[in-house]
Amino acid sequence: MALARLVVIGFVVLTVVYICLSFYSRARRREKLEAAWDDDGGPGARAEFVRRGLEDYDGSLRRKLILGVYVVPTLVVALIIYFTNFA
Amino acid sequence: MAYVKWSLILAFWLIVAGFFHYTLPQVDIVRITDTYEKRENPGANSLFWSSGDAGSASGTSGRDVFFIQTRQVGDRVMVYRNEDTGWSWPPYFKFDTSNLQAEAADLRSTAADPQYVAIRHYGWRNEFLSIFPNAVSVRPVDGPDAAKPLPWVNILILTLVAAVWYGLWVRWRRFRARRIDPTLEEIQDSWEATEDAVAEKRGRLRQWWAEKRRGY
Repeated sequence: MALARLVVIGFVVLTVVYICLSFYSRARRREKLEAAWDDDGGPGARAEFVRRGLEDYDGSLRRKLILGVYVVPTLVVALIIYFTNFA
Repeated sequence: MAYVKWSLILAFWLIVAGFFHYTLPQVDIVRITDTYEKRENPGANSLFWSSGDAGSASGTSGRDVFFIQTRQVGDRVMVYRNEDTGWSWPPYFKFDTSNLQAEAADLRSTAADPQYVAIRHYGWRNEFLSIFPNAVSVRPVDGPDAAKPLPWVNILILTLVAAVWYGLWVRWRRFRARRIDPTLEEIQDSWEATEDAVAEKRGRLRQWWAEKRRGY
């Protein structure tokens, strides 16, 4: 029924947004790492520096925050339902 | 040609403006005179009607719809419908239609002893299409000159949409400047080079033929 349809469509759309955002965010992190290595001239080899930096990023809070893409619309819908029907 | 381009742009923005004017909430100060239900059969105008109450069977041909009759401050009348939007469009997630009808019925008043309300609604009243704005909430106010609240939701949504549109537009322009314009210029250049080459070959061919005829 209608709620199931909304949930499915919403999940698909938000997943697409999440995937695009993830790729974009990781690419930006890579660019920043490369620029930082170029500026400082080290330490170590470039590829190794970038690889370790990306490993750190993979476990970081910033990457987990992208899951907020699922949380925020759900919260907005819940708020709308509350203010429309119960307040 | 320029007229065509500008009229298309104008038509596009008119549609966008109409869409937002229809979908975003507005508040009217009115006096509720009566409430009623009526059997409705949305046909050609069904785009402007909602479907049945949330959780009920869908696809039935006729259904009873709540209405709220009001008199506006300027002595014109306005009739609102009162329907669930449910989980579908527009995203008001309105499920409390019957409750709202009960509130509206309780706030009925006469001209002699008026009770004014602020009624939040969306949609248009068009007599030719028989469509009505959909009431979302009612709230009693002091009198006909009560101040309407600032439309925060509208401001927020329109600002977000404008920001997204601007972001897309800026990126489109940058993309065009970087990729499409140089490609078009290359096409232009290669076309001119071809023209030059053809003209040169023609010139040499003519020269060869003239020598043949002269014999030297």
